[in-house]
Amino acid sequence: MKSETVKNMDVLLRPEKFRAAVFDRTASEEGGFSNYSYWRSTIRTFFRSKFVVFIVALIGMLILMAFLYPALSKTDPGAISTNPMTWNKRPNADHWFGTDSIGRDIWARAWYGTRNSFLLAFFIACSDVGVGTVVGALWGYNKKMDPVMIEIYNVMTNIPSTVYLVLLAYIMNTSFLTLFIAMASRGWIVEARFFRNRILSIRDSEYNVASKCLGTPMRRIVSRNIIPHIVSLIIMETALVIPYSISSEVFLSFIGIGMPVDAVTLGNIVNQGRSSFALHPYQMLLPTAILCVITIAFYVIGNKFADASDPRNHV
Amino acid sequence: MLRYILNRTLRSILTVVIVFVTVFMLLRFMPLNGYFTDEMLKVSDEQTRMAYLRNQGLLDPPFSQLWRFVKNLFAGDLGRSLTVYPKVPITILLCEKIPVTAAFGAASLVLGMTLGLLMGMFMARYKERLGDTLGTFYVVFVRAVPSLIYLFFIQVWVSGVLKLPLVFYEDRPESWILPTICLSLGSIAWYAIWLRRFMVDEENRDYVKFAMVKGLSKKYVLRRHLFKNAIIPIAIYLPSDILFIISGSLIIESLYAIPGTGGLLTKAIQKQDNNLVQVIVLMYAILSVLGVFLGDLLVAFVDPRIRLTEDEG
Amino acid sequence: MRNVILSARDVEIKFRLREKVLTAVRGATLDLYEGETLAIVGESGCGKSVFTKSFIGMLDKNGWVSGGSLLYRGEELTRFKTEREWLRIRGKKIAMVFQDPMTSLNPVRTVGEQIAEVIVWHFGTEHEQAKREAVEILRRVGIGDAEYRYQQYPHEFSGGMRQRVVIATAIACRPEILICDEPTTALDVTVQAQILALIKQLQKELKMTVVYITHDLGVVANVADWVSVMYAGQIVEYGTSRDIFHDPRHPYTKALLQSLPQLGVKGCDLYSIKGTPPTLYKQITGDAFAPRNPDAMEIDFEAEPPMFQVSDTHCAKTWLLHPFAREHAEKLNFAEEARKKEAVAAQAPPFDYCKADKLLSVRNLTVKFRLSHREFKAVDNVSFDVYRGETLSLVGESGSGKTTIGRAVMKIYQKAEGEIEYAGKRIDGKLSKQERRELHLHLQMIFQDPMASLNERAKVDYIVSEGLYNYRLFANEEERMRRVEQIMAEVGLNRDFISRFPHEFSGGQRQRIGIARSLVMNPDFVIADEPISALDVSIRAQVINLLNKLKKERNLTYLFIAHDLSVVKFISDRIAVINKGRIVEMATCDELFLHPLHPYTKALLSAVPHPDPDRERAKELLVYDASIHNYKIDKPVWCEITDRHFVFGNRYELDMYREELGI
Repeated sequence: MKSETVKNMDVLLRPEKFRAAVFDRTASEEGGFSNYSYWRSTIRTFFRSKFVVFIVALIGMLILMAFLYPALSKTDPGAISTNPMTWNKRPNADHWFGTDSIGRDIWARAWYGTRNSFLLAFFIACSDVGVGTVVGALWGYNKKMDPVMIEIYNVMTNIPSTVYLVLLAYIMNTSFLTLFIAMASRGWIVEARFFRNRILSIRDSEYNVASKCLGTPMRRIVSRNIIPHIVSLIIMETALVIPYSISSEVFLSFIGIGMPVDAVTLGNIVNQGRSSFALHPYQMLLPTAILCVITIAFYVIGNKFADASDPRNHV
Repeated sequence: MLRYILNRTLRSILTVVIVFVTVFMLLRFMPLNGYFTDEMLKVSDEQTRMAYLRNQGLLDPPFSQLWRFVKNLFAGDLGRSLTVYPKVPITILLCEKIPVTAAFGAASLVLGMTLGLLMGMFMARYKERLGDTLGTFYVVFVRAVPSLIYLFFIQVWVSGVLKLPLVFYEDRPESWILPTICLSLGSIAWYAIWLRRFMVDEENRDYVKFAMVKGLSKKYVLRRHLFKNAIIPIAIYLPSDILFIISGSLIIESLYAIPGTGGLLTKAIQKQDNNLVQVIVLMYAILSVLGVFLGDLLVAFVDPRIRLTEDEG
Repeated sequence: MRNVILSARDVEIKFRLREKVLTAVRGATLDLYEGETLAIVGESGCGKSVFTKSFIGMLDKNGWVSGGSLLYRGEELTRFKTEREWLRIRGKKIAMVFQDPMTSLNPVRTVGEQIAEVIVWHFGTEHEQAKREAVEILRRVGIGDAEYRYQQYPHEFSGGMRQRVVIATAIACRPEILICDEPTTALDVTVQAQILALIKQLQKELKMTVVYITHDLGVVANVADWVSVMYAGQIVEYGTSRDIFHDPRHPYTKALLQSLPQLGVKGCDLYSIKGTPPTLYKQITGDAFAPRNPDAMEIDFEAEPPMFQVSDTHCAKTWLLHPFAREHAEKLNFAEEARKKEAVAAQAPPFDYCKADKLLSVRNLTVKFRLSHREFKAVDNVSFDVYRGETLSLVGESGSGKTTIGRAVMKIYQKAEGEIEYAGKRIDGKLSKQERRELHLHLQMIFQDPMASLNERAKVDYIVSEGLYNYRLFANEEERMRRVEQIMAEVGLNRDFISRFPHEFSGGQRQRIGIARSLVMNPDFVIADEPISALDVSIRAQVINLLNKLKKERNLTYLFIAHDLSVVKFISDRIAVINKGRIVEMATCDELFLHPLHPYTKALLSAVPHPDPDRERAKELLVYDASIHNYKIDKPVWCEITDRHFVFGNRYELDMYREELGI
């Protein structure tokens, strides 16, 4: 090995090699650059872990099922049977996951429940994050709002969320809409505070000052400088609010002020299953499993996406 | 520093007042039927119900109700329970229930903090190793899955495995164990994840590298520099933890039939006991504000940076 | 008698970074001698920091020494495995000081504790005794009232004081070797000089070996006995500081020295190093500097040169020293001589102020900020004019308010008091939207930090044409593209860069994008806010030249904001010196350097580092003490003491200054 390099040297070391070489300007600029795009790297980093791919596929299938089943199947999740023979049936060919204490098919109820709970949670997430972003943006750009908003924030977050939900759900007659109002009326302020801090730091960043110096109008500053920097945060926050909202619904059902008893939601199904758990534990199996998978999946996705959207973690 | 405390105190009082008035007024917006359970609605007619409401002073203008409530409050009278324990003064009820809840809360606060911090330190120490992964699983599970589900399964299964009583008996100390642990599960996850995050953050700071360069051992730096610095921001999360435990006590007290305020609130809600709901909610709200306030003070005391410069916001 | 204390042979250090392996140090060889000072010079990413960190086993977790040997007093450091082995050396025998004193100390423990703990740890001293020793060390590094300050927290110290504390911590165990990693980069010039003097004095007292890691050749000239120049993970030249500064042999060293503005001739281009440093992910063949060296030989691209001995003390790693290269080397020397002569001949005449007209006029500008309930004046009653076509520099240390003045003129702060006039029109106070647009068409700004001032999520194309979009300065897409490409060519960037994101570029390239963005609208007046201070040494000359070239071609007027007097001297026609929000002195460049009047100006000038070891060592440091001014009764005024030479002082001081000038 060593002798070879020495021989190589001899070949190279000829006087004619010691002449001026041609200077290549582009070659001299080589070095700094890599092929990089923020979104491509974010997506790539996000899907790099097999676990994340699995979770995303799983949640995709669950949600697809939750929407396809009610559309395709003719089973009525609320159909009460008067025949006591069909009550509390163990899983069998007709009822894959059995029936509950009044003969309703648990398989059907679980998918309807998933759909309804997911929709509720999704709407809440959209409203929380949507309102939160807009208010946060206004708040970030307007220092005069500070005292009022901070007071609202303090009041809202100083009360435990469960107590707040209990209070509101207690006051109103519960329905899909009131539950939505109860949950959405609190979440936005937390998001607003979060986005306000982010937007504040973007507002004072140098590239934003540079844009102002160039005379860039507000709408283009918003669309080019601000929104692209918070889109990943919006996605992340939405993913994180969903499991939280689903949990809240389950909690309210437990306290007894959730959705009306005949509404098919995961909260109701789980609580009904819980009351007959001692005798018929299988009734709780499917809904609980779905509930766990859905909440964990969204939680993990939100957090992993947050990691992936941080340029420091990019490949 | 004194100015900071004063400032913070005044703001907390303001918050309490706002919370108080808001909660009180919100409850006045409740439809009148909300004062009665379904059975009561079935058996009584319109007139008796109105007479009952008038008798209770519930038809007066909201502000005069508020005024009366405040006046009574300073006289030590919180009104009387309507349906859960009819006609019993709420003060007496609370005197009976608060010690139980407080004992549980304090016990699980201490337990949660100790175990949580230990776990967080362990996870940071063995970052990206098996222990950390297992810890993360635990944290994700506890924080994502509705607490009701795992609390229920713990009650049903773990009590069987450990031969512990399924519900709470005041005279059997072993029946205290499970609820206390359950109540602290959330806090453990909460402290663990924050401590881990702060320690990992701090680890990359220059001063930690400089401390290592000084020739101090990793263990020493971890204990004397990292841990101390990471624990300071944790103090901010203490009040959130109090809120956590309050939330948790609602579920756990009714699961284990513990005679505390959380269980009382659940019962009051189910029985539409408006006066009781009002007082307990207010109590919880004030307690939370107090918790946040104490947390801020605590941070100010431990962090020399805040101690001198106040907030820069 | 010179004893080798540490010797590094062919050290190779690798890092695993995101599944790729990067060779940060590619065979570096070095000797450290007892009681002497070595400076390692190089730009960021050349591996100088990593190299020295390996002496104390402090590489990041993903890095390892993959080859070579490190011999310290007969011990092979590369064989150290356990922490226990390292702890015998680290901190006790070899200590280190970091760049940023603001972050090197634990913010929640008192400075005293942080010093005492080292003593306790290494020597097992009793706590009380350690405390006494710590106080003694604090006193030694020049901290007055040491007993009281012992119990203070780091944030109660100023930057320079904190660096003293950091040094105190490092020397607490009387180490044999002290490694200073850019110890003064984060500090102001005047403080920098004091810290360097302190390290020198401590070195003498404690008989330490000191290793400086720096990119600043001025610092090197000041402190070093020995210099080694690092490039792309290798030591390319090594010698005494006289060897390096007076007789550099490696093309990189030569280029680095020539590109310094101190050695430039005003009005001419600075010698500039082309291109950007190579990435260390790739295999480098031949001389790593060859692609950036216009005078490279063919052999440079094919084979790595060995170390050639120039003299007993001096060696360099370049093929130019090979006997075959004599002809080429002679040609280069000849060309260089010619270039120098040409430059002297081409010296530009000074700016003619008699015919100039005022473009910008600032009168009694005051900007106030609120910081936690306290109001303070960032800019205090400042007045100056800028003439069309000149370059006026605002020089001051950090926190002096120089950036604030620039931003106030740009109307970034709404609440500025005083009058600002641009081209005869008042621009202070509230402007209508139309007026603001109009103003920004003529008035543009270049920002300091090229990393922060470009929007990461936008392509270069959009960034550069942002101004064009705002004012619809193009008829159709084709014309816009044409203008973008034209400006890209003007700042020396490749035209296909426009479809890329800012992340992909190096600091110098990004700064050129920033310049293109500001100049694409053809402004008349440009405020350049420290445009080169965040750049690497080898890149600075490029940007300075670019700014000068654009000024000539486009007849621009610059308001140049900087802290580095050597750059300012090269680039500006007039200089205004700012201290604590006030301009204390303003004069033409030559006048200011010849006859500085205000004591602050004098202190500032005395602290400027020079890339000449003889001059650096002879220089006398002046320290500015604000308490010498007695403004209680005799109020100071802003006075034009001679033609275009303004100074801030009271009647007594002005008389003194006049006497000094001999009028």
